[in-house]
Amino acid sequence: MTTPASGSQTISETGSSLMAPLFALWGPAYHSQFSQVTLSTASSSSGVGISSAAAGTTNIGASDAYLSPADMAKYTTLENIPLAVAALMVVYNLPSVPASTNLKLNGTVLAKIYSGKITKWNDPAITALNPGVTLPSASIVLVHRADSSGSTFLFTSYMNAQDPTDWSSSLIGTTVAWPKQPGEIGATGSGGIVSSVKTTPDSISYVGVSYLSKVTAAKEGEAAVGNASGSFVLPNTATIDAALSAFTSTPANEAISLINGSGAQAYPIINYEYAIVNTSQSSTTLAQDLQAFLYWAVTSGTTQLASVNFQPLPASVVTLSEAQIAKISG
Amino acid sequence: MTASAPVVRPEGGAGQDPLPRRAVAALRAGIRNGQALRWTGAVGAVIPALALAFVLVVLVIKGWPAFRIDGWSFFSSKAWSQGNQYALKPEIKNGYELPPGAAYGALPLIVGTLATSLIALIIAVPVSVGTALAIVERLPRRLAYAVGLFLEVLAGMPSVIIGLFGAVTLGPIVAHDIAPYVARNVPDVPVLSYFAGKTGSGYGLLTSGLVLSLMVIPIIAATTRDLVRQVPILPREGALALGMSDAQTARRVTLPWVGAGIVGSVVLGLGRALGETIAVAMVCGASFGSFPSNLYDTMITAAAAIVLTLEAALTDATGYALSVLAEIGLVLMVITLLTNIGARLLVRRVSSTALPVGAGI
Repeated sequence: MTTPASGSQTISETGSSLMAPLFALWGPAYHSQFSQVTLSTASSSSGVGISSAAAGTTNIGASDAYLSPADMAKYTTLENIPLAVAALMVVYNLPSVPASTNLKLNGTVLAKIYSGKITKWNDPAITALNPGVTLPSASIVLVHRADSSGSTFLFTSYMNAQDPTDWSSSLIGTTVAWPKQPGEIGATGSGGIVSSVKTTPDSISYVGVSYLSKVTAAKEGEAAVGNASGSFVLPNTATIDAALSAFTSTPANEAISLINGSGAQAYPIINYEYAIVNTSQSSTTLAQDLQAFLYWAVTSGTTQLASVNFQPLPASVVTLSEAQIAKISG
Repeated sequence: MTASAPVVRPEGGAGQDPLPRRAVAALRAGIRNGQALRWTGAVGAVIPALALAFVLVVLVIKGWPAFRIDGWSFFSSKAWSQGNQYALKPEIKNGYELPPGAAYGALPLIVGTLATSLIALIIAVPVSVGTALAIVERLPRRLAYAVGLFLEVLAGMPSVIIGLFGAVTLGPIVAHDIAPYVARNVPDVPVLSYFAGKTGSGYGLLTSGLVLSLMVIPIIAATTRDLVRQVPILPREGALALGMSDAQTARRVTLPWVGAGIVGSVVLGLGRALGETIAVAMVCGASFGSFPSNLYDTMITAAAAIVLTLEAALTDATGYALSVLAEIGLVLMVITLLTNIGARLLVRRVSSTALPVGAGI
């Protein structure tokens, strides 16, 4: 299952815009190694990734969110295979706060902001977390994803994990009922988040680490996010690894939330980036080619991860992913 | 010969043309005696009706579970939540499954659709009628031709381009120049308070209305231009001879003459505005579950809601979200239908007052 068939093959991928920069690197890299296989990739959203894989209109659906129990029950041949570990950033546009200052925000404050209980940047709850930072009295403009987004799933899971009273579990999902705030913006795709925050002063939003360079170029601020032990951390190799080590028992179907892991330095919003694949393919060659690519992705493909600030899967999870890849048949 | 004996049919045997040639001959004969035309005409007449019926039936079938779950409260509710997709068990209501916590209401979508279309018409009608009069009566022939050409190009412009212009150019202008100026200067009067308050980011009700007006103007203006051209010259010359100014002639003679036609063209434009999807989706700000708090606030329309939430709806394993979208599609069809019926009644009323020229002089 490690090498593709000799015939020429096009493997289609669509879904998560958070994962799209990685597939954009993987496509050419894989093609240069196995010239008979071409990857056609598209950036949409995790919801599209899941629904396209379910409908059979794409070979690989990319998603930041694992399949829901209902989806798993409905589409029994679909499986979610982790390919990498990613993290979600909280970003903002505050012209008066220098970019080198990473505002400290935690799940409680974010839940209060997104539910409208905190509306001003200089609210006592925010200033208390950020002594020495002068915050404007401006109203906070909420930016969130309008499409069905894995980023939304991760962000709402985090707020619920830290503050279940202000952010109830019914508000966890790829599309949620955002409590209405004046001027709030629904943006499409991770790119839409970056550009909406850039053009909207006093706004706040969330976007995956694969967009870090774009966030920096847009001169947006990145928040240090409060974790389960109360410290404030930025997503990097050390903090993501620290968070990963808190989750030792990934189940065989690999559907697991990695939110709010314990550990002093653990970054609280990390996730597996999933390939949603149908185990029953139309032909044995397509099944073989898919297996070969996915196997390559979790082994040799890891060299590309650093460019998009992702991390490789822990060895034990690679084994689980390989077991799931082995189930794909034609 | 017994009854069970096989009957041998000549298949293109000697003395008979092969099948294709016979078919061609039959077709030629059909065209010559008009049979072919009659049949094409009949099929052509039935297809649109069938298509409409098919769409309606599919929407009703798909939307039925949502209607069973929500009933009539769907039309008065503001809720918009896909519910907990990760719950272990779906909820059951009136025999249909839905994710726990899922709730949808169409009222903000209906309000948003009507509000954006109303703004578009308020802007587009005077501009279009003015443009039409200018083209026919004022502008030099070459300039009139150029303006007419621009109108037609604008009418044929794909709406996604106008949406792009709205999101990238018009939105920021509204956010930085128009909205703050208007909001600062409106007097503190109850109705006008809708023009005051937070001016937002450029995504929202006003930008959506402006973008829609750009699409409606060429429709109304081009139709009105053609109508005004058909107003006979004699009544107009008569008005001028009576000493009326150009403006008075336009108001008292030309416009009343084509009034019914203008109403018709406005309805054509309204139909476009009500159903316009992608351009509005790009500039509305996609805010579900509430009414815009002022003219600049983000909002959503029925058509934009369908395109923006379809992919999310497809991930709802219970099918409830998709069913809701079908129901919204049905609502949109009914709104469009009611507008058309209303327009027909209006046109009949306006045109029944034959030749209202000079009324009120």
